[in-house]
Amino acid sequence: MTERSSAVLRIQSTFPDLIAERSSDRLVQYRVDKSRLPELARFLHEKLQGRLALLFAVDCRPLEEKYEIQYLFSLDRHWVLLTVAVAGADRLFTSITPSVHAAQWYEREIRDLFGLIPQGHPDLRRLVRHEHWPKGTHPLMKEFLWDKTIGRQQGEYRFRHIEGEGVFEIPVGPIHAGVIEAGHFRFSVAGEPIMQLEIRHFWKHRGIEKLFEQQTLITALPLAERVSGDTTFGHGLAYCEAAESLLHLEVPRHARYLRSLFLELERLHNHFGDVGAICTDTAYALAHAHCSRMKELLMQLNDRLTGSRFLRGALAIGGVTNDVSAIQRSEMVDVLDAIEKDFAELESIIFANASLTDRLETTGVLTERTAWDHGVVGIVGRASGMDQDVRRDRPFAAYNELAINVVLYRYGDVRARLRVRMDEIHESIRLIREILNKMPQGPLVATSDHQPRPGEWALSAVEGWRGEILYFVMAGENGRIHRCKVRDPSFVNWPAIQWAVIGNIVPDFPLINKSFNLSYAGNDL
Amino acid sequence: MFRILKKSLKTGVVTGQYTDAAQSCASLAPETREKALPFKQSLAIREVDTGSCNACEMEMNALTNPVYDIERFGVHIAASPRHADALVVTGPVTANMEHPLKDVYKQTPDPKLVIALGDCAVNCGIFKGSYAVTGPVDRHIPVDVCIPGCPPRPAEILEALADVRRSRPSS
Repeated sequence: MTERSSAVLRIQSTFPDLIAERSSDRLVQYRVDKSRLPELARFLHEKLQGRLALLFAVDCRPLEEKYEIQYLFSLDRHWVLLTVAVAGADRLFTSITPSVHAAQWYEREIRDLFGLIPQGHPDLRRLVRHEHWPKGTHPLMKEFLWDKTIGRQQGEYRFRHIEGEGVFEIPVGPIHAGVIEAGHFRFSVAGEPIMQLEIRHFWKHRGIEKLFEQQTLITALPLAERVSGDTTFGHGLAYCEAAESLLHLEVPRHARYLRSLFLELERLHNHFGDVGAICTDTAYALAHAHCSRMKELLMQLNDRLTGSRFLRGALAIGGVTNDVSAIQRSEMVDVLDAIEKDFAELESIIFANASLTDRLETTGVLTERTAWDHGVVGIVGRASGMDQDVRRDRPFAAYNELAINVVLYRYGDVRARLRVRMDEIHESIRLIREILNKMPQGPLVATSDHQPRPGEWALSAVEGWRGEILYFVMAGENGRIHRCKVRDPSFVNWPAIQWAVIGNIVPDFPLINKSFNLSYAGNDL
Repeated sequence: MFRILKKSLKTGVVTGQYTDAAQSCASLAPETREKALPFKQSLAIREVDTGSCNACEMEMNALTNPVYDIERFGVHIAASPRHADALVVTGPVTANMEHPLKDVYKQTPDPKLVIALGDCAVNCGIFKGSYAVTGPVDRHIPVDVCIPGCPPRPAEILEALADVRRSRPSS
């Protein structure tokens, strides 16, 4: 038995009758009775400062006639997984939302996809299933056919209303003015300041989790790469890590370094895009033009390295498909040197602009407290003082051999989020240099003929450029996937925007939204 | 101010610094050429996302960067379907986006072109058959031009749009 964290010891001393079902150095699983769950969840969340990282359900049929609901808490770099079984006809489970706010969307999602009802949940409106979906359509139940055509019914979604003199609503979307994805925002405003924002998403729900269940562990990779286009490599890598641990594959060291390299390249081009986008929304076209030019250089570099501007197809289960030749390495160093110098110049120009700084500071503040309550992750979290980075906290790929400096700011405003990105650009370029210097030689792909037993599962976490990406993959019969839960960082960060905008004026919303830059596709699945 | 000027002079002109599209798009149907005539080589585009993974939108956005600079060809991206000559649709049409798509199509004034961008819009791509996907774009609205690829490179999109612009009989 490896060393236990103090948090796990405290759980055990407070609840001595709890017996760990599974225990490894980084994860402890407890099977909990339905009635005891709220008490335990509250203890983990409030007393031990556990962040609710993931909440999802699994339909265990046909193996067992029951559903399981899994609550994953992240405590000082350890994971505690609580498993609750829901069996029988009542299909009810107790909601933990009243004490753990971060559970809100997860529980509504479970209700929509599995038809299990979170008792005591304060908001039981539909989330994924829009109002025109017929009653009783729960696509992740095993008896629901993946290619079933869903019918239509009449229905109306009720937004929360604020009433009063001079208060009116501004609906935006699902089709926006720019070239962006589909989502709906409903503002309640009194004059200019926003009193309330309600987000309604899931327009782009494509049934990805159900599509995963039609695939085998090996063939599902292209699907993971298309969960969210801008995080192609991050999602692909997170899926690979989970599948590989099920298949008992040891990824060669050379391939692990290449994976880190590609992940940093993806982070770089996205961060450049974001810095440019924040500048456009403050009408600073010059900075935007330069950033998008640098982003283009990086994407062309990706294309030359792997044949895809988004690094699609660069991953394989057990390794990577592409090596980087010596010539490409020196080319990469040249491009990055030039870009870093270029960007440093631009940075000083950007921050010499007082009117820009004025727009950014104190705009869209997400306080540390609100960020914590929502379990916010990634860039947004690090700009609000949440010191977390999966690359450092639970190393994957080659990060256990690399030193990561985590960028941290406390103000939680747009400027802090911009600064996090700018500092991470420099950090990523430094990391890429370190990776290229240390790059070992060896094979690119490992193979194995291990077959996981049905019901075996694995969890993986990867720090994509947006933040922590989680995958839960459960094996089924004949190498098929029984359940694959995908959690993009956007899913937990979206509800936090609703709080960051309050009190800001409507024209600042695009700016705040850009500074979060969350994925709609990764959220809607 | 001097720093900005210095930076701009140092950077120089970057437009056109990209590898040309490998292959040209399939040739346009004669009736599409006919339809594109009134636009007189300029095109106002409205982008509609009906469920893509966002890669196609990123490539559409890349078209406006200084390297591709699509506006030099008279193509610009309009903020409303009412200002658009052409709709560019990306992604398979999800059950939730079916109505908004039809609505946008209705709001776009005639004559109009519909361009399906990316594999998903053309044939649903990897999402084919899913319960939440109601079909490719041409199941819901008539499509004039298809640009395949997952995602197509900006140079390929540019090439295809240039094809539409060339519709005018050479003068």
